[in-house]
Amino acid sequence: MRIYVLRQLVLLIITLFLLTIFAFCLSYWFPGDPVTNSSGIFSDDTMRYADAASSRGFDGNILVQYWHYLAHLFRGDWGISLLDSDPVFEQLQLRFGATLEIAVLAMLIALVPGVALGVLSALNFRKPIDHTILSMSLSGYSIPVFWFAQIAILLVAVRWGMLPIAGQINPLFNIEAVTGSILLDIFINQPENMGLAFRSAIRHITLPVLVLSVMPMMLLIRLTRSSMLDVLDKNYITSAYAKGLSTRRVISSHAIPNAMQNVIRELGSLLSLLITNTMIIEVIFSWPGIGSWLIRSIYERDYPVIQGGLLLIAALILCVHVALNLIHAWRYPQVRKDLHATS
Amino acid sequence: MNRLIKGISAGLAILGISACSPGPETEQSLNGLLYCAEGNPESFNPQLVTSGTTLDMTSAQLYDRLLEFDAESQAFLGALATSWEISNDGLRYRFQLRENVQFHTTPWFQPTRFMNADDIVFSFERWLKSEHPFHHVSGRGYPFFRASGLTQLIQSVTAINDHEVEIKIRQQDSSFLANLASDFAIVLSAEYGEQLLASGTAELIDTQPIGTGPFQFSQFRKDVMVRYIRHSGYWREPSASAQLVFRIAQSDHKRMLMLLTQDCDISPYPPARDIQWLRDKPEITLQDTISPNTAFWAFNTERPPFDDPLVRQALAHAVNRNAILNTVYFDHAVRADSILPNTSWAHHGTPSAYRYDPERARELLAEAGYPNGFSMQIWALPVQRAYNPNARLMAERIQADLNAIGVQAGIVSYEWSTFRRRLADGEHDSVLIGWSADHADPDNFFRPLLSCAAKRSGNNRAQWCDPMFDELLSAAISSNDQDVRKAYYEQAQDHLAREVPLLPIAHSVRFQAARQNIQGLELEPFGGIQLRNVSRQQPAVEEQ
Repeated sequence: MRIYVLRQLVLLIITLFLLTIFAFCLSYWFPGDPVTNSSGIFSDDTMRYADAASSRGFDGNILVQYWHYLAHLFRGDWGISLLDSDPVFEQLQLRFGATLEIAVLAMLIALVPGVALGVLSALNFRKPIDHTILSMSLSGYSIPVFWFAQIAILLVAVRWGMLPIAGQINPLFNIEAVTGSILLDIFINQPENMGLAFRSAIRHITLPVLVLSVMPMMLLIRLTRSSMLDVLDKNYITSAYAKGLSTRRVISSHAIPNAMQNVIRELGSLLSLLITNTMIIEVIFSWPGIGSWLIRSIYERDYPVIQGGLLLIAALILCVHVALNLIHAWRYPQVRKDLHATS
Repeated sequence: MNRLIKGISAGLAILGISACSPGPETEQSLNGLLYCAEGNPESFNPQLVTSGTTLDMTSAQLYDRLLEFDAESQAFLGALATSWEISNDGLRYRFQLRENVQFHTTPWFQPTRFMNADDIVFSFERWLKSEHPFHHVSGRGYPFFRASGLTQLIQSVTAINDHEVEIKIRQQDSSFLANLASDFAIVLSAEYGEQLLASGTAELIDTQPIGTGPFQFSQFRKDVMVRYIRHSGYWREPSASAQLVFRIAQSDHKRMLMLLTQDCDISPYPPARDIQWLRDKPEITLQDTISPNTAFWAFNTERPPFDDPLVRQALAHAVNRNAILNTVYFDHAVRADSILPNTSWAHHGTPSAYRYDPERARELLAEAGYPNGFSMQIWALPVQRAYNPNARLMAERIQADLNAIGVQAGIVSYEWSTFRRRLADGEHDSVLIGWSADHADPDNFFRPLLSCAAKRSGNNRAQWCDPMFDELLSAAISSNDQDVRKAYYEQAQDHLAREVPLLPIAHSVRFQAARQNIQGLELEPFGGIQLRNVSRQQPAVEEQ
């Protein structure tokens, strides 16, 4: 296990390193001046431009420049936005918390019904319940997320007036953004009407999270179902029945845990899809995460922001993949053995 | 695993229960106002900007001016100045300042004195004098003061004593007070300026603002909101709401939905196509005002056949402007019978000069020697403007109308900056364009648009220079007697009705939507929105 963890971590570090090289090269590949592209300072601001150029090692060769780039990266100096001169790292920090908040909540919400329905469907293989669940998941998966969002807004918010449609909380609550995640921020700020603030935040978060959770939920149903079907075919299930275990015991302590093995492995790729959808949802629900900010930066060619956002999202997805691999290996020893055997 | 599942289901249950609990009555009782703005403020100092978005969010909320213009009584009212005297030659203005006016007390600045003459001098010299320590701070220039000619006009601003300021100007100008009353001429704190200079953070003067206005700055989160809180030491009655939050939502459609879902209390500029739908909603109040702007069709009077007033009159009679109001503006505009909007005190409409009468148009054309018409070009501005939501469509309507009197018109359009440059060079036959007022003085619609000076600066779309008209304008601004000025402006407008260098088309309506329970909201015809008297009616206490 120790070797496996080590190998995974080394792999992670190497990939992150390659990623920084790629992000670094972007400053040169984007049209325009590399100093401006990496620092966000225009050349007409002569003093600061000269400062930026020398502190980023632009008088040296490309290796020196890369070294300075890494130094800036670790110092948290990711340049400033070309559009409004906001420091990129600071903005990313604030906005990333907000993005993570809805993405994680949506994932958690997708998990329970997704797995449960998948199991149910597999147990009733080719029965009406199976068909119903399967066709529901197929249609739910094929409908794009922005359409769901529009329908939810029109019905739940505008027609029935049940929920708000914009922002994280009623802005009359004075909650200073520390982490960017509104639920955590309320806890940190400890306002006097905390109960009310939490209620407002939950009302605001409900629609985006529910809409966002549809797609992963539908995928999870299908994943769980096929993985369950595989497992149910296995000999050890037959032998468990033969030993006289009740169906309930067989399913809960043999079938489901083993079926989860595949599901956990696929969670990583689900996450990449989820992040993309989160960006769309953020724009629709005015959620102050990185999504709306990155989309604007792409429109306006705000290179320092594009670079920072790319680095952050890619690093996040990488880290989650590695973490899932580790969990996977820790929970399922045969995976480790497989890996040893192949290496 | 089991524990995890239990935890998640418990969390889901809580989420579900709280989400389904009924409406936001309790949130509604928070004392504050949500205004959905259409963009981020560029700065928190209106001296630096010209955009209406920034003006709405800063000027009347954070600051005060020396005087204000009251649209109802059409008169200037004292604000930070209680009274003013103008010397007989009209070159010296002396302002008596209000006493005991407090600046905002915030975590970053605690004023030790009341507002006095030094603050006025400090604020005005910031845009007036390049040696002022703050003149180059923020590096944006002072576009309004330069364009209105104030930087040229004002000779000096001096403090006579603590509560008296004298402004000397170089020549008589009756629009001077109107410029001082505009949203741009706000008063900053000189003491705050000194504090910032001492700490070497001069640029904070525009990002952590201090003023004397009804609200004080609290927080700005880009793309999310701007938070102001009540300034308890305000010299007028304190603001009706304890908090004022501007939420930032760029899409007009989104703002409208947010209004319906109570995410906003007030929202400016709802989409034109949804006006009627909003009007039918009982929970929404829709306010409108004729904003002081004019869309017009200007003829290049240097080019034949448009150098002949008869031709210009004929074209004016050929256009069915009521139909244009209907198709282009969805009736959210009124017909313009003068270049000067009908909200101005000097307005003098001449509907008969511009009436729709194709018969008369044909007679006039024949009289001018074009019985079989001619062909011409209409330039349509390529962007949307408050005064004209769709110039291309308007040009097509006019094209059809002209066809009826035998004039063949082609429609021309260029990319916006090219369009403006070619217009200034006078390459057009005729152009559909317009003008929005910066302040209430009628001069703003004449001198910058139709004077010989405007022709020289490339702003006169009709390329029209008439010494007699210019004389009327000069006579009007060199007097301070409103009746005398009115008489001159009437003559000027009659002159325009005879000469028709341009055909006024419409004064469009500015809309603002608010929730039914918002009180004290008024939509002023001139720019900046006033929010200090606005509050949300508290929900009536219901049965237990």
